Amino acid sequence: MKVSLNWLKEFVEIPVEPRRLKADLIGVGLNVESFAEAGDDCIFEIEVTTNRPDCLSHYGTAREIATLYRRRLKRLEFNLREAGAPASGEASIEILNPELCTRYCGRVIKGVEVKPSPDWLKQRLEAIGQRPINNVADITNYVLMELGHPLHAFDLSRLEDHRIVVRRAQAGEQLRTLDGVDRTLGSNDLVIADAVRPVALAGVMGGEDSEISSSTRTVLLESAWFEPVSIRRTSKLHGMHTEASHRFERGADIEMAPRALDRAAGLIVQLAGGEILRGVLDVYPAPRPRNPIVLRRSEVQRIMGTEVSWEEIERSLRGLGFEVERRGTDGWRVMPPSFRLDVSSEIDLIEEAARHFGYNRLPSRVKPAPPRIIGSRAREVELRVSDILVEIGYREIIPSPMVDPEENARFTDRPPVVVANPLSQDASAMRSSAIPSMVRTLKWNLDRYRNDLSLSELGKIYTTRAEGLPEEKRVLTLGSTGHRQPASVHGEEKRLDFFDLKGDVEELLGAFEMPGLTFEPSGGGYHEQGLGGRFVAGGATVALLGRLKEDLARQYKLRQEVWLAEIDFDLLLKTPLRHPSFKPISKFPPVERDFSLIVPETATYSSLEAAVRGLGLEETQSILPVERRRSEELAAGTIPKGHVSLLLRITFQSPTHTLASEEVEAASRRVVEALEPLGVRIRT
Amino acid sequence: MTIDEKVRKTLKELEAKTPDEVNNLFAGVIAAVESERQKLVTRGTADESERERLAKELRDRWLARKSGIISSIDECWLKTAPKELKPAVGRAFNELRKASAVLETNELLKAIPLKRRGKRQGELIFSADAGTSKMGGRDLTLPGYRRPLGSVHPVTQVMREIEDIFLGLGFSIESGPEIESVYYNFEALNIPESHPARDDWDTLYVNSQVLLRTHTSPVQIRAMEKHGAPLYIICPGKCYRHDNPDSTHATMFHQVEGLAVDTDISFADLKGTLDFFARKFFGEKIRTNFFPSFFPFTEPSGDLAISCVFCEGKGCRVCKESGWVEVMGCGMVHPEVLRHGGIDPGRYSGWAFGLGVERFAMMKYDINDIQLFHQGDARFLEQF
Ligand SMILES: [Zn+2]
Repeated sequence: MKVSLNWLKEFVEIPVEPRRLKADLIGVGLNVESFAEAGDDCIFEIEVTTNRPDCLSHYGTAREIATLYRRRLKRLEFNLREAGAPASGEASIEILNPELCTRYCGRVIKGVEVKPSPDWLKQRLEAIGQRPINNVADITNYVLMELGHPLHAFDLSRLEDHRIVVRRAQAGEQLRTLDGVDRTLGSNDLVIADAVRPVALAGVMGGEDSEISSSTRTVLLESAWFEPVSIRRTSKLHGMHTEASHRFERGADIEMAPRALDRAAGLIVQLAGGEILRGVLDVYPAPRPRNPIVLRRSEVQRIMGTEVSWEEIERSLRGLGFEVERRGTDGWRVMPPSFRLDVSSEIDLIEEAARHFGYNRLPSRVKPAPPRIIGSRAREVELRVSDILVEIGYREIIPSPMVDPEENARFTDRPPVVVANPLSQDASAMRSSAIPSMVRTLKWNLDRYRNDLSLSELGKIYTTRAEGLPEEKRVLTLGSTGHRQPASVHGEEKRLDFFDLKGDVEELLGAFEMPGLTFEPSGGGYHEQGLGGRFVAGGATVALLGRLKEDLARQYKLRQEVWLAEIDFDLLLKTPLRHPSFKPISKFPPVERDFSLIVPETATYSSLEAAVRGLGLEETQSILPVERRRSEELAAGTIPKGHVSLLLRITFQSPTHTLASEEVEAASRRVVEALEPLGVRIRT
Repeated sequence: MTIDEKVRKTLKELEAKTPDEVNNLFAGVIAAVESERQKLVTRGTADESERERLAKELRDRWLARKSGIISSIDECWLKTAPKELKPAVGRAFNELRKASAVLETNELLKAIPLKRRGKRQGELIFSADAGTSKMGGRDLTLPGYRRPLGSVHPVTQVMREIEDIFLGLGFSIESGPEIESVYYNFEALNIPESHPARDDWDTLYVNSQVLLRTHTSPVQIRAMEKHGAPLYIICPGKCYRHDNPDSTHATMFHQVEGLAVDTDISFADLKGTLDFFARKFFGEKIRTNFFPSFFPFTEPSGDLAISCVFCEGKGCRVCKESGWVEVMGCGMVHPEVLRHGGIDPGRYSGWAFGLGVERFAMMKYDINDIQLFHQGDARFLEQF
């Protein structure tokens, strides 16, 4: 909201320069974003929080300033000269729905001349960003900006039977509002109607039919108080946000209604001529109750952390319009003013006291928390995994999990969580697979000539559930493409392949205590057939990994193959981290034995290794496949078709003695025997 | 004349008449020692038996007691040297013997690279040129071979830094769902649908009861329900807003929420703790300033501003000439919110804060576009 310094000065003396005023207002919670000199005036731009509609006016702002600098706030006194017949003879007001309209005040002014406003009025409005229209409309606007209460002026001659009926609209009723839009109303909309039809959308905007025009001679001025919730509902429903609805939905001052009316009526007679008919038409069937609040000094101290004097609290609250009365030894009985609908409990009063005491005067203390351990494990696992990822070369990414649901469906059958009011189709669902985000990020980089990438994301996937909130699962995603090692003076380039990805996943899983972890080749899904697989432990899939299918890669227009892995992070969180348990280091030399094997292609390496490990030979320190050749790669007849040659290197070492050659021979024989059932033969 | 021919002639036959000429003669021999040795150790790798054979051959050629080159020189040059040249020849001969020690079989065996058969442990292999200054002509100014390291996202780095400060104060880390109920995100936090404050959070909805959380504050309620008081927690996580993306707005961003509930907590604890936190994070020199604000779930509510890190409080474009930059919202937990969390506000009080992690990272690393955090551009990630 824009506020004029000169206007403020009509209500309060301001003893400081604008720059200081800005800082001081910020200090009491009126967020002055900027100020600008304009001629002999200075315009402040203030961001008023939603709880303070009383500060959406010059008078309200002046009240804060008066309290701040301990100055007197000018009292509002409007001495009106009424004339002629009683207003009640010219117009009538009826409230049919008092639950939505608590008070409706009106005055009738006869014989006005509608014309442009004088320059001083135009300039005042323009200075704070308002467009002048005509004298009557400008005056209602002026009073709104001055006192914060929205008014509306009707051309009385346009109101059927000169009647005002405040009622709910009938479903389907029509109203053309001042902005020229035809609105179809519903029964939740509160309208101002004449004897026949709606003439204004209550508290939001007037109707075109009864608008003040140059031919208007008699004005009915409205100053009412509408239920905030109803105004908010109507303004949202019709997508209309006006100066009036802005204040009514935050809560206007019900006691200001007749006073703002008087202020405007006086100005109209002064600037547009005419006479004010006798009496205010004030329909206020059930006055709003005002409830006193008990404020305890001990509670002020408990929250603010310091003792504040009786006098200081009283001075602040009284300055702000509260009625304060000491009660007993520990506090006050405080009656909030009608314009402070935001103050209804003791804590609200404490905030008022603290604001004007000044947060910077409050003490400061650092008190560490008492010891209490609440779940620190997730972080421990996150840090361990993050360390490994950095060590093996993955850069962390944090993409938004909002995706296009159609894209998501390419990677999973799980339904994503669809957003009802998305900003774009591209971000209209919470993903149920993290792969699209990873592929998109790889593509983003490939399209920018970054060819060698290893990226990781620790994020979530989301899916709908029959009941309750959607399911959220944590998932670690790896994506890589290009070379593990680019060509350089130090060596030839090495392209990433399946075993790079698999090794990375093994490295990660190796940090966990995961007995019985096995790998199964399993193509399908978004992985290329024959280049994908999964790690399984205890019947659950821990990780899926493989190369992105070619047709999908084409759809994304990827320039090169990409490797993807997804790891169930929730499962890792449930799995203990490998806890080092020291084994004595053998003092005796290891012995290597090479086994040159002929293996049927149907026998997998993992079955061979399992067979050797299954022997349970204590001395078996490591098993390493050194070289593997398929029969096609060798000279014809070297090994039978459908077989591969495999050089297996096993290292034997005893913790207790130097292995004798007979022992090594015996162990080697047992290895060969264990492999025989798999169709494996020693190459001679 | 080859070296073999030379060493069978006398000095006189070689026309070496002065000490200088003698020295030249010997220098030629030492050069030959070096060059033959070089030739052998750089010829390529050899297996064990080949290596032994090669080493023995060269050693015998030079050092064999009867027919080696050194013994020839002894016979032909030293023993027949004229009296006046004897001292010079003797000195030079001693030098040569020292220099030719590298041709002993053991020395050569160390120098000739062995052909490796697979992995062999426990044996250091020196490359032929190790220890010589030229490194066989390799340009040591070439860049080293760097194994590619990964990197931690700047948002994660900042988040961890924040977590570490609060963990150091004894706080714990809590988390909650990103897809939240309207109740936890708004109603339990004193933000009813009917209040205009609700409009301060542009919200993405799944349906009328479920939304993408607009802040991490719902975790306050969940944690109070789960753990009760006393409670000292921070809750980092993703949040979502119905905001069109630009350089300062993102649909998805991260917040860290903080909450302390105990029997003797006042605004002083909020001030002291957040002042400590801000100086720890932004640097000890900065000053903090608290001023009133409004959040429905705290009262009294405040904003924390720090003295501008760019102009040190003098006023610049970043701080809009004010010298201060707002960094987070905070306040005393509203009694209604404590009640919603099942905690008696008559007995307990609390303070809370919420901050934007991307914003902190932008200030810390001088980043001008929030979109950079979520694009995953390697050129961005590599800088952290
Ligand atoms: Zn600055």
